[in-house]
Amino acid sequence: MIVAGLGGGEGIRIVLETEEAMLLSELADQVDSVLLLGEADDPALGRLLPNAYPEDLEASEEFTRYTRESLVDGKRQAAQSVRDATAVDHPGDGVVQIELDQAQAWGWLTFLTDLRLILAERVGLDDDESDADVETRDDYLRAAYEWAGFVQGSMLEVLDPIKP
Amino acid sequence: MTPSTLEQHDTELRDHVAADVPWQTVVWDDPVNLMTYVTYVFRSYFGFPREKAEHLMMQVHTEGRAVVASGRREQMEHHVQAMHSYGLQATVSRAET
Repeated sequence: MIVAGLGGGEGIRIVLETEEAMLLSELADQVDSVLLLGEADDPALGRLLPNAYPEDLEASEEFTRYTRESLVDGKRQAAQSVRDATAVDHPGDGVVQIELDQAQAWGWLTFLTDLRLILAERVGLDDDESDADVETRDDYLRAAYEWAGFVQGSMLEVLDPIKP
Repeated sequence: MTPSTLEQHDTELRDHVAADVPWQTVVWDDPVNLMTYVTYVFRSYFGFPREKAEHLMMQVHTEGRAVVASGRREQMEHHVQAMHSYGLQATVSRAET
């Protein structure tokens, strides 16, 4: 995975190995599914859509009523755009190159955040289980979590370079 | 002055006082979010200079929370909605006087 700035403009180019693109596409599809199908009591959804008024039930419900739909729509659009951009039509081509303008890059950054929030919640849930399958699954989720953080961090180094 | 005018004046005064009570946008620490990401959100969304954005990010990180804006309630709700869209944990609260 390589992130580079685009000459002249304010965008970035991301180069992914085919396997990385396929993984990202699959994860983006799963994030979209959580947002579309997630039960109201799914703690992962609680991370994506936090309570704006923890101490005021009435205000909290009103805030949710006015903002939930647009928040979910925005997050789903971000996940879908990453899923579509990383869809691999011809797995033999080697690498996938994606160019993003500033607005598209924000979609990726917010998607990667939502993905990590969900993964953190999913891994945390099974802490006291020792089943081998669960451990294998958790290893996979942890690796995906770390990798998504690496992609996001690499994007930020290009989008928001810290000048010495 | 007619009674109806007086009544209207009272209402306006009450609204004015209520609107003046400042509200706050509070961002809470979340171990998931990268520090560089939180700083970039503060810089991009609020237009803070880097130094201020980094200071607030560090306050969230070390103290668990930071007030990133204050003002009218509707405005704070707008900010909190934006913070949620970026994946940050944020709440609206009344400023302590």
